[in-house]
Amino acid sequence: MKRLYNYLPVCVCVLALLTIGELTAAQETTKQDSTRNDVLVTVGYHNVNNQWSYLSVHAKAKLNGKFQSVKGAKFHVYLDKDSAGTLVGDLVTDDKGDAVTTLKPSLKDQWKSGTTHTFIALYDGDAHYNASKTEAVVKEARLKVDTAEGRNIVVSVEELKDGAWTPVKAVEIKVAVKRLQSDMPVSDKESFTTDSTGKITAEFKRDGLPGGDKGLLTLIAKVEDNDTYGNLQVEKTVPWGAVLKPVSNFDERSLWAARFKTPVWLLLMEYFIFFSVWSVLIYLVFQIARIKKAGMPG
Amino acid sequence: MSRGWRKTVPVRYQLLNNNTVEKSIEYANITRDLLPMRFSRWGKVWTAILLAFCAAGAFAWILQLKNGLVVTAMGDYVSWGIYISNFVFFVAISLVGSLITAVLRLANVHWSTPLTRIAEIIAVSAIVFASLIIVVDMGRPERFLNLLLHGRMQSPIIWDVIVISTYFILSLLLLYFPLLPDLKILIRAKETTGPRLNKLYRFLGSFWKGTPEQVRLSEKAINIMCVTIIPVAFCIHTVTSWLFATTYRPGWDSTNFGAYFISGAFLVGAGAVVVAMFVFRKAYHLEKYITELHFDKMGKVLVMLALLYLYFNINEYLVPAFKMRKPEAAHLEDLFAGEYAPMFWFAIFTGMLVPIVILLFKKGRRPLPMFIAGLMVVVGAWFKRYLIVTPTLLHPFLPMQGVAEKFHHYFPSWQEWAITMGSLAGTLLIITFFARIFPIIPIHETIIEQHEKAV
Amino acid sequence: MGNDNNSRRDFLLTGLLAAGAVAGCTSKKNPFEGYANGDVTASGETVKLLSVDGEVIEMDKAFLKPVPDLPHPSNSEERKGIAGKKFVMVIDLSRCKNVGACKKACNHAHQLNPDQNWIKVLSMQEAEHTAPYWEPTTCMHCDEPPCVKVCPVDATFKREDGIVLIDSDRCIGCRFCMAACPYSARVFNWEEPKLTEEVAAQPYSCETSVPQKKGTVSKCDFCPDMARMGELPHCVTACPNGVFAFGDLNEDSVTNGSETFRFSDLIRDKAGYRLMDDLGTKPSVYYLPPASRNFPYESGLEKDSSGQISTSK
Repeated sequence: MKRLYNYLPVCVCVLALLTIGELTAAQETTKQDSTRNDVLVTVGYHNVNNQWSYLSVHAKAKLNGKFQSVKGAKFHVYLDKDSAGTLVGDLVTDDKGDAVTTLKPSLKDQWKSGTTHTFIALYDGDAHYNASKTEAVVKEARLKVDTAEGRNIVVSVEELKDGAWTPVKAVEIKVAVKRLQSDMPVSDKESFTTDSTGKITAEFKRDGLPGGDKGLLTLIAKVEDNDTYGNLQVEKTVPWGAVLKPVSNFDERSLWAARFKTPVWLLLMEYFIFFSVWSVLIYLVFQIARIKKAGMPG
Repeated sequence: MSRGWRKTVPVRYQLLNNNTVEKSIEYANITRDLLPMRFSRWGKVWTAILLAFCAAGAFAWILQLKNGLVVTAMGDYVSWGIYISNFVFFVAISLVGSLITAVLRLANVHWSTPLTRIAEIIAVSAIVFASLIIVVDMGRPERFLNLLLHGRMQSPIIWDVIVISTYFILSLLLLYFPLLPDLKILIRAKETTGPRLNKLYRFLGSFWKGTPEQVRLSEKAINIMCVTIIPVAFCIHTVTSWLFATTYRPGWDSTNFGAYFISGAFLVGAGAVVVAMFVFRKAYHLEKYITELHFDKMGKVLVMLALLYLYFNINEYLVPAFKMRKPEAAHLEDLFAGEYAPMFWFAIFTGMLVPIVILLFKKGRRPLPMFIAGLMVVVGAWFKRYLIVTPTLLHPFLPMQGVAEKFHHYFPSWQEWAITMGSLAGTLLIITFFARIFPIIPIHETIIEQHEKAV
Repeated sequence: MGNDNNSRRDFLLTGLLAAGAVAGCTSKKNPFEGYANGDVTASGETVKLLSVDGEVIEMDKAFLKPVPDLPHPSNSEERKGIAGKKFVMVIDLSRCKNVGACKKACNHAHQLNPDQNWIKVLSMQEAEHTAPYWEPTTCMHCDEPPCVKVCPVDATFKREDGIVLIDSDRCIGCRFCMAACPYSARVFNWEEPKLTEEVAAQPYSCETSVPQKKGTVSKCDFCPDMARMGELPHCVTACPNGVFAFGDLNEDSVTNGSETFRFSDLIRDKAGYRLMDDLGTKPSVYYLPPASRNFPYESGLEKDSSGQISTSK
């Protein structure tokens, strides 16, 4: 699987193409000047916990044969139509070429006008790069996680069709446990595809996984970069972890501890030697004074 | 031991007061011979050369302070070079103070009396430059105070700082107390010594009258110092050896290091005293005071110490060579037959074997052969310290890869040589100036000795 | 871009195969996640946003600040570390082919001089008949660090989260730690580091180890500044082959950016070990043996202009 890493630039190209809407929309870009580079723009819609959502814009350009993130690229992001009323925000990409934004309350009416939305990212272009327009079309969907039965996690995907939530099949879902910097798949199978009922069942195989001092683990079910539905993620906390109260030896006295945590035996040895010798030295200095006095007449 | 001193002193003073005429002639002769003299032409040339070396060293250090330690030939692998081996060498030499002054004095050995001050000044001077060379080796010398403000008692370097300071103070005191009776003589000899030095003598010891009470106090203090300085001297060099022995590296990871270093220190110190003996004897015409007997006795001491050091060397090298553990194999091969072989065998022969052979014979214990043997011991010891520090660093556990070719070897840069030579010259300079200001052989004790012999 | 559908479809085929591996590599982490150590306190200020259903909801502003807004830890916080964590690294020797991306990323992120490498990729072969392999070494962040034991001024210290750092404002440059380290992990700034004026004028941070100072020691620091933000060290993300995996022992999880493993399973199944364990240093870096390799050893050797193979870069 790692060999495929060599195809990383190709895959990013592909991903960019997929999210721009391989199946539903045609992509349009405007080319103005052939001496300037093109920026590959990825627009993503992210639904978090079925509560709120955000949009991400990623800008990449091919420089010297390698893809590099474009920093400081200015985008205007619109919902459905590129008019002032549907402006989501003006974004500038950071060092990694990313920019994110949530949706403003003023877009409420536009949002409620339908269940399929198009996000348009307009790039102004600059001296190095051509301007472009990128679109992503997303259908509203939701993810549900059910952990009622034993250690089985049932995840279902539903989309809003004609006012009713209908199950969607053939959606790839990943089920994992949230860890510090990444998500650990709950079993050896990394991803699952929903069946005709729109459900997948993942078995939790990570018995005894440490879950902090209360034994709680946060499960996360993700749909990543789906052509139709964008990105969905739902988290759920379950008490399936092992209780781990980390014991820190930071405050213990040891040879490698900080200054005031010297082992007692070492301190005793050192101070004993130091004080016994230095008391002799101080005594000797006093002897000089005594000799001085003994030399005075009277 | 000290009872001998205490009993005879009051008696001697009675004699001195009663037989002033006779004693005073002898007293005058000894005093005249041993008073510090102005520099002869050779003395001036010698001092000038030493000053030149010191100046070169100081200049090189300024360059180093400006540009950083990059002026040296040290790299990420050989991170300790001749500054550290020089430091070890200085600490080693400074042990001689305790050897001659304390150990021999406590053993009631009288022939060593003329040599005590030479030994002490070598010790003090060496310790001063040991501290200086360590500051030179620091990457951030201006942060020296951090050792006091943030010192960690678990670190062998902190132990070393404490022990070195303690030893320095103790050696200074051991230099000062026996100097008090001589100061009285020096103050009296104002016409010979001159007004400026006279002021110095007065400042240092005009309170010394030689009363029985003062003598008693002084003698007691000296005895206490002699007893105290021996464990401190052992500490100082053992802790210095632990700078290496507390690491895992091949060649350093040895339980033998404390004893090995101390025996080496006594040897090189004794060698230094022999060299100094010869030079002072020649320069100040002290043949009557540093006699052939002294050379003979020191020769025997030197042989014994050399044999002891040879014994520790055999333990240090033969035992790991028998096993040839992987990390040590490359290191030992390098020493015995590789890049460092010439220096290694030179150090062994010059530092131990040849002096032993010379000194086993009575003819070899005459002044000139002794001087050569002493010189060989000191030079051999300097290279031995170099062999302890650098070759180990060239054999780390993980291979040295990805660094420039020059970091696979180490040869000190001119700045390092200049600073090292400067520090050695500085040590000699302190000794030279000391001999110019103070009698290098204790006058008062020599007088007492002569009395004892007569009595 | 002017590509037509056909060539896009060609890409698709190879792309779909890679999609499984790739989907994770774009690391879709919620950028509004908050701090790694979870101590974001609600600021009390709320912001109105549009919910998924098209309703207006309120969320505390503190939870919506993208991570760069972290306050800079004080020196004593940097010395204590992140509570409750115990960082470990797993280096998979079967995947390393001496690409050197880790070295480049690390050197760049910490503004090191070109000849200073905190990560050394060594060409190893224990004995005549044993396999040659490439071994990247970082600082081992030992649990009984010999370097910390010998430091006279507390300039190098071990934190609660296991990371060993260096305070370049305290270091006196005695280089005892360099002599004590058996892994040759430390390098020294023999001269003034080549930094831009802007970087050199910044106050020193133990966690980023930037800016480096003349006459002080430096070494791999496990990028604790990245860990505070819930991100991975630079070498981990830079390696194209996923050689480095970083994580928390208290969560029993390590990740190389695209794959996440249960640490205890990984070490047990692949017979992980530590370097020079017999010295008693208790390193925090585990190695997976170079068995069933992805690349032959020779693929890491550089060929010079005449076609001759030379050893590592």
